[in-house]
Amino acid sequence: MRNAERSRRVHRILAAIALGLGSLAVVAGSPRRETNARIDVEQLARIVESEDDHVTALELAEWIKEGRPNLRIVDVRDSASYESYHLPRAERIALRELSTARFGKSETIVLYSDGGAHAAQGWVFLRALGFERVYFLRGGVLEWLDEVMNPVVSEAIADSAKADRAAEISRYFGGVPRSSASVPADATPVRRRGC
Amino acid sequence: MPLFEYGFFGAGSALLVALAVGFAFGWFLERSGMGSANKLAGQFYLRDLTVFKVMFSAIVTAMLGVFWLGWSGALDISRIYVPETFIAPQLVGGVIFGVGFAIAGLCPGTSCVSAATGRIDGLAVILGMFAGILLTGLAFSRLAVFYESTSRGVFTLPELLGVSYGLVVLGIVVLAVAGFHGAGWIESRTNRNA
Repeated sequence: MRNAERSRRVHRILAAIALGLGSLAVVAGSPRRETNARIDVEQLARIVESEDDHVTALELAEWIKEGRPNLRIVDVRDSASYESYHLPRAERIALRELSTARFGKSETIVLYSDGGAHAAQGWVFLRALGFERVYFLRGGVLEWLDEVMNPVVSEAIADSAKADRAAEISRYFGGVPRSSASVPADATPVRRRGC
Repeated sequence: MPLFEYGFFGAGSALLVALAVGFAFGWFLERSGMGSANKLAGQFYLRDLTVFKVMFSAIVTAMLGVFWLGWSGALDISRIYVPETFIAPQLVGGVIFGVGFAIAGLCPGTSCVSAATGRIDGLAVILGMFAGILLTGLAFSRLAVFYESTSRGVFTLPELLGVSYGLVVLGIVVLAVAGFHGAGWIESRTNRNA
């Protein structure tokens, strides 16, 4: 009798644990790590052809400056590169960790790497995982340094309002816009190693 | 992460692991009384629903384990093999299996446990099972068309019902707990009347 009583109590405790874990499961979210994602190749190719897959450094700078809501800037380079320099508000998530990183469907995700290749590959990964609002920084950190931090602002540009705007954005991020007059005509833009 | 798929051990070690898992499986089947055809047959006369309770406990335990291991990232659920569904052949197979189960009082796993503990009926069921496998294999060319009919591919309950994984987990736990409660009630009723 005593044993029956005890085993009934054990059963009740086990049932309560199972119900507890089951209830928590409802709010816990998906147990799946969607690493075996699928892509619609044709659809992605169309997006790439229409150039809706990337942003330029100036576009991204404007987004940051105007405080675009739900913007996530993701640095896919290694931690040493990130430590030495990264874009404002950027967080570091390695390519390998993209599949398990938690992104919201309403977030705008901008990936960047040194040159752009790795970020573009990360773009494919995130699109495959079902995220729609993903972009990569076309020329990577190099473009950011050239176009935002050290832009050559030419007075000769027909659209001078555009030049002024570029200079203003550069100053906002603490960059040093150089006028074309102070730069030798054959000067090449600053380029750093990396891919 | 399925350990074997990720190469944590090779084919040789996999056999050893399978052996250990097999021993544990047999041990717990016997310990829960499932090596006894008498006990298993009691299921069909509603006087002993141990089979139902053991199977559903195992289902709930495994389901919660898989869910939470998957959620924590320790297990990659997408790598778990989900068998395909073939409606008609699986219905017919289920009926044959059920009839055999009721007659023998043992299913494939429990027949091995039963035979290993020295029960003659267990050995007889194993022989019958292999005879069935042999006959099916010999007649397979005639059965192949039916065997591959009414294919529905691979799907899981959350996909079929269009609800979240967690909700299905809770539903099955509730079903199990209600089932255990109901099973106790049915047993006491049947045994009182007997």
